[in-house]
Amino acid sequence: MGSPCELLCEASSARDAEKLATLVAAEAWRIEEKLSRYIDGNIIHQINSADGKPVEVDGETAQLLDFAETLYSMSDAAFDITSGVLRRAWTFDGSDNIPAAKDIEVLLTLVGWDKVDWQSPQLTMPVAMEIDLGGIGKEYAVDRAVGMLRSVGDTPCLVNFGGDLAVTGPPQLRNAWTVGIEAADLSGAAILIELRHGALATSGDVRRFLLKDGVRYGHVIDPRTGWPVEEAASSITVAADTCTQAGMLSTLAMLKGAIAEQFLDSQSEQYWCRR
Amino acid sequence: MRTFLAMGILLVCSGCTSMGIEPWERDVLAKDEMQLTTDALEAATDDHIYFSKEASSGGRGFGGGGCGCN
Amino acid sequence: MSRKKEVSISAALAAATCSLLGTGIPTAVDAQEEPTWDFNTSLLYYGEDENRVQEFSLKSIISRMFADDRVLTFGLTIDGLTGATPSGAIPLDTVQTITNASGNSVYTVPAGELPLDEEFKDTRVAITANWQQPVGESSQMNWGFSASKEFDYLHLGLNGRFAKDFNKRNTTVSAGFAISSDENDPIGGTPVGLSSVLDVGDLSNRGGSEDKDIVDFVVGVSQVMTRNLVMQANYSYSNESGYLSNPFKILSVVDGTTGDTVGRVPAPGGGPTHEFLFENRPDDRSRHSVYTQAKYYMNGNVLDASYRYMTDDWEIDSHTVDLRYRWPVGNDKYFEPHLRFYTQTEAEFYRLSITGGAPLPLYASSDYRLGNFDAITAGAKYGWKTRNQNDMSVRVELYQQSGSVPNGQIIGNQAGRDNYPDLNALIVQFSYRFKK
Repeated sequence: MGSPCELLCEASSARDAEKLATLVAAEAWRIEEKLSRYIDGNIIHQINSADGKPVEVDGETAQLLDFAETLYSMSDAAFDITSGVLRRAWTFDGSDNIPAAKDIEVLLTLVGWDKVDWQSPQLTMPVAMEIDLGGIGKEYAVDRAVGMLRSVGDTPCLVNFGGDLAVTGPPQLRNAWTVGIEAADLSGAAILIELRHGALATSGDVRRFLLKDGVRYGHVIDPRTGWPVEEAASSITVAADTCTQAGMLSTLAMLKGAIAEQFLDSQSEQYWCRR
Repeated sequence: MRTFLAMGILLVCSGCTSMGIEPWERDVLAKDEMQLTTDALEAATDDHIYFSKEASSGGRGFGGGGCGCN
Repeated sequence: MSRKKEVSISAALAAATCSLLGTGIPTAVDAQEEPTWDFNTSLLYYGEDENRVQEFSLKSIISRMFADDRVLTFGLTIDGLTGATPSGAIPLDTVQTITNASGNSVYTVPAGELPLDEEFKDTRVAITANWQQPVGESSQMNWGFSASKEFDYLHLGLNGRFAKDFNKRNTTVSAGFAISSDENDPIGGTPVGLSSVLDVGDLSNRGGSEDKDIVDFVVGVSQVMTRNLVMQANYSYSNESGYLSNPFKILSVVDGTTGDTVGRVPAPGGGPTHEFLFENRPDDRSRHSVYTQAKYYMNGNVLDASYRYMTDDWEIDSHTVDLRYRWPVGNDKYFEPHLRFYTQTEAEFYRLSITGGAPLPLYASSDYRLGNFDAITAGAKYGWKTRNQNDMSVRVELYQQSGSVPNGQIIGNQAGRDNYPDLNALIVQFSYRFKK
């Protein structure tokens, strides 16, 4: 997952809490191993090294690809799981290393879901193109974990994978789960959210950016241009019924750049936008 | 009477450094109804009523001030 | 085209997510920012029986929370009082006529009845402001201002408090102070202590306004005993100096044998038919209080028990025991019965009446509030959460005082009468609190 994962639960004993934690950890690792770019032999690796040949995927991967496709058309190609290759040009370490336009143009030829042939369960991708489910994977894992926790009992739980989180329901010993959203500058006060049902997901990162000539480049790249989204907010947190919905809405909003707030206002979800 | 009071206060203080709970055991104490003053409005109202009808006042702290009623 | 598309994104996303997760329609999200405003308002009715004091009071406490646990709080109270209170004179078997507090007319007391002073109407407005902020990692300070105004009384005050946590926040030690400067400006002027109640229009024994200064100190410690028990203990010292008498209270001057109030011929323009003196209290009073409280959580119910002992240099001692038990009803309602016991001994200068002909004491008051009495409060509160998760509650209480005059003070015919004005009051308070 690339980030710390935790489970908060109001279990009646340490043993019960451990059982639930084991369940959640197992699911998190299963999804990580299946969808990670870095693990040889998993379905993503097979797809990315298929060299133009068709790959048959399992049911779960097929559903994720269907979902990615829906998001691609819903967002007018702003959300594109083939855009991962652009990370080769960009390193968001706070420095001023902006890549050359030429390098980006070359990589852009390898980006575009429209170039991919997806007829469930068969995926055929042009040579050298890659898919990266990192934009969906974490939120999906949170929702899967919450679903499993609900199916084994009614212990109030909060599943938090690196800031993308969801709850099974309200806690019993307090009115709500309290979640803090970091301030735009790391020394500022957090906003505190009281969560009783649903999920929160955050897009953007106050730490990962490039700064050149007074212009801040956030780390969310627009797949259509190869460049970071212009006038992107530093972070957008959305509250929704599921972590997947929250995550997708915050990503879509981030990709809207300057009009992120207007976009979110036109949907009915609560959001917190830091610039 | 005075020695009894002094002993009482010392008893409370002497136990202080060794007693208590860990930070993760504070769930019950965090509840609204476990605060030392749960309802500030009711406490202030009572303080004022009893201040005007009795010779004693306060004790918990001090409230918002006097009136001509005593 | 794109605007229409934007509107349907939420719905399309919900549908797509449903297909992906395959778990059916999820529970709707419920997320709220922690509130920055807290409004707590109540309407109070206080009513004593026998045509005595009735009060309606509107009270509001408004808090604004800022980042880093800093809080600004404003309080506003508006009281409307009417009614009459015992004047301090004793009942007689005959009619009595007494000059009123302002000295501009008289009122009549029927035979056999406890003399209540003339019906009054007054409005009081009080405001408070308080600033709270953390100091370092484990301390907190509070600064406050208070002021109140009635027709004939003004109060101004400042207070401050500092508290520090120790021992993993299990122990909190605090110290605070308050200073007040009050001014009493009754119509007609403040009467000279132990001077006579004069005929209508005669203000020769009246002065101007009088001041009272108060200084309070409190030190306290609160301690978490177990996961379910927290206790606190406070010691406070208070000193009042200046004009401490009540300008409206009087004492009857009685015959040393019969115990009946000495008669008098009122002036043609109106005046008292009997002899009365204005009370006189010392110009200094020091008080010590010790207060201790415990809150105990038992399976969802909360017991709140406190005890306070007070002693002062007027020789008044009091004990107060206060018990509350909160019973949750379902998830969002509670029922809380309340019992309070109070007892006090009389002030050293408390007297039922002054004996005519004998040398006057230095200080004297027959104000029942400085007398020897027991009081009991019994009531219950019911609270619930509204649809928007805001708190509402209503409480009804009965407060009863019954006192007695020290035996040595009863003279002659006074023995057959009910000399001590008992108090029976009904308290009803309705509260509403919402945060946003």
